[in-house]
Amino acid sequence: MRSFILILLSSNMFSLLEIEIIKGSDNLSKVAFVPFGIEENLDENYGLQISTQIEKNMLLFGEFENLDKAEMLSFPSSEEDFYYRDWKIMGVDYSVIGKINSINMLGNLNISYSLFNINRRIKILEGEIIGRENNIEGIAKIISNRIYEKITGLKGIFDTKLAYIVNSDAETFQMCISDIDGKNEQILFTSAAPIMSPDWSPDRKKIAYVSFENGLAEIFIQDLASGERESIQALGMTNSAPVWSPDGKSLALVVSFSGNPDIFSYSINNKRLVRLTNHYGIDTEPSWSPDSKKIIFTSDRSGSPQLYEINTQSKRKKRLTRDGNYNARGRYFPDGKSIFFVHGNDGNFQIATKKLSSRFIETLTSTSLDESPTISPNGNIIIYATKDGSKGYLGGITLDGKSRFSLPVKNGSVREPAWSP
Amino acid sequence: MEPFGIFILAAICQFYSCAQNVSDSVERMQYASVAGEEYLEGEKIETNLDDKVYFDFDKSTLDASDKNLLEDYLPAIRKAKIVRLEGHCDERGTREYNLALGERRALEVRDFLIIKGISGKKIRVVSFGEERPIKNASNEKAWAENRRVEISLY
Amino acid sequence: MNKILISLNTFALILLFLSFTFSIFSITTLKVDEIQPIKVNFFELIDIAEPPNRVSVVKPKENINEADLIKTQESNGVKNASGLEKYKINKPDIKKELSKIKLSKEREAIIKISAIIQDKISSVWIKPNSLSKILVAKVLINLAPSGEVLNFEMVEPSKNIVFDESVLIAINKMSFFEEVLGLERKLFESNFRNFKLVFKSSGEIE
Repeated sequence: MRSFILILLSSNMFSLLEIEIIKGSDNLSKVAFVPFGIEENLDENYGLQISTQIEKNMLLFGEFENLDKAEMLSFPSSEEDFYYRDWKIMGVDYSVIGKINSINMLGNLNISYSLFNINRRIKILEGEIIGRENNIEGIAKIISNRIYEKITGLKGIFDTKLAYIVNSDAETFQMCISDIDGKNEQILFTSAAPIMSPDWSPDRKKIAYVSFENGLAEIFIQDLASGERESIQALGMTNSAPVWSPDGKSLALVVSFSGNPDIFSYSINNKRLVRLTNHYGIDTEPSWSPDSKKIIFTSDRSGSPQLYEINTQSKRKKRLTRDGNYNARGRYFPDGKSIFFVHGNDGNFQIATKKLSSRFIETLTSTSLDESPTISPNGNIIIYATKDGSKGYLGGITLDGKSRFSLPVKNGSVREPAWSP
Repeated sequence: MEPFGIFILAAICQFYSCAQNVSDSVERMQYASVAGEEYLEGEKIETNLDDKVYFDFDKSTLDASDKNLLEDYLPAIRKAKIVRLEGHCDERGTREYNLALGERRALEVRDFLIIKGISGKKIRVVSFGEERPIKNASNEKAWAENRRVEISLY
Repeated sequence: MNKILISLNTFALILLFLSFTFSIFSITTLKVDEIQPIKVNFFELIDIAEPPNRVSVVKPKENINEADLIKTQESNGVKNASGLEKYKINKPDIKKELSKIKLSKEREAIIKISAIIQDKISSVWIKPNSLSKILVAKVLINLAPSGEVLNFEMVEPSKNIVFDESVLIAINKMSFFEEVLGLERKLFESNFRNFKLVFKSSGEIE
């Protein structure tokens, strides 16, 4: 109440002009990645290698702009040599500098780094890291994560992975994982029959997916370290669309008894199935809310595929989408307040988002056969599958819409990306 | 063929029971009855009939011409030991939903055959969703060809 | 304690009532020397020929009322002006009308400069993606008559560090608002000597 009076008084006494700013710039923050300095008698390459690697990471999703090395006015490696005006003049927002201090007998590098906010003229991050000289990539990922976190306030994602399905010809289906920058690709499973719906366990140690190797859709859980595969044999004609619960103890999945697909939750330890929906329509594509209390799913019970959510305790259902005649494969944002899904509109299928509290659907993508969206753990980037002619590839978009990118093309059609936690 | 009947029975039980848990025994029985390709004993019977029924986008209903096609097929189906119905979709829409839709289409054909007196016991249903297109292209013609149920006899 | 609270409460309510009546009063009868507090809101100024190709609609909130008020005020003026022919012209009426015209001209100048300032800030503000959070941060700007930014202070932070930081960075990039140079001194002093920038994130994906 007291503060209320204060506001009243202030608005009457000093009638200040207020200018509202809602729109932000379309520009990206410009970051300078200065080649790291080297103590004498160390290999000079390391310095450039590590800063280049950090630069590559940070530019991966088009979230930042960089300053070309040729345009840099100085190459400081410590705070004493750092002059804000050198960077302000080039329109730089942040500068990353660093130095390789030493290397020991075991090949361990000692690296220090700093991040400066040029406009505010302050150092906002300082750190030191020790890592092996043959793991420059790994060191760069850790530093990149910390810089990214400091600038955006979001969790760094450079150490995450991506799972996807590659279909190189009609008889070859592969499930692969790679680092988020596309490096270190591993083929987890190859089959002559289709593979579908990969999903990471929350601890990143397992992947659940659907394989047709026995002639019909069957769910497998594969351990990444050992490569062991286990069919969960969840009965029914078709088992599909497995999605891990946030605690990693259950899967939400679809079981079709005599051709009627419904959503179940399956507890992995005691192999118990709990029915969540029971409707003669198609119920599929379940996914958990971040707090595990709700499951979103697609159902055609209204005549066209629409998104619904069900409370896993009370079993109460709620329809989430009403606009358009195709809204499917919904997933929650990490904050649980919005959803993203595939929205069909005039024969185009695009990735869209919707706040749970609002009825408006916002379309993010502009190609026509977009599907299987997956979100970065920090909630800032969506990668999805789309098509160019008959060839599938992966596209991405940042949620502010400033950056659109596509992932490097592979031999064969790539689809169903799944971003690791 | 006995286990399949049990499967249907159990499925019906499951469907109507309020119980939310499925007991282990039921689980095992049902699984044993639907172990995929292995129940396709015998050689594939070749017929010179059109073996595909086509559908509209996001639809699983049979129109008059589809029903005629199936009528023509009936004598051959009666002679066969096993009828395999394979449901497919076009690439539009989401994969998991299409998997369910493909199953829906195959079941629509199964139901029609059952009405015409074919024993449900010898009908096998499988869906590949959009994973096995006939034409790998993104146009109306290819989509129309891919939205199908394929019939094969053993 | 309760009594104090209740009396405080009633006091506040009376204040609220008074300020309301006062504000209504002051809108209907404008005096030349009285400078209205002006809120320049985004939707008044934004180019309408820029429809986002999404289904989303951003609610214009209560600010639209003010825009409407300005319009009705102006249309009233026009009506009265045409009404002059019908009725006997008396001096106070003419004075009133002139003052209104002067005021609307001043208002126009203020809005024009505000729009430029808004645009300038928008072009340097790298807005963080705040998803479903609605954030507001207010910054008080202190200008010299030359347009130089003498001082600024975040008077109402949003409490979201990244959002506040992005606002501070944007303001740090602005050192001059030379548009105010052409303004009458009185207008400058009463409007742009000190003014507030209100940074808002609607929580929509933009």
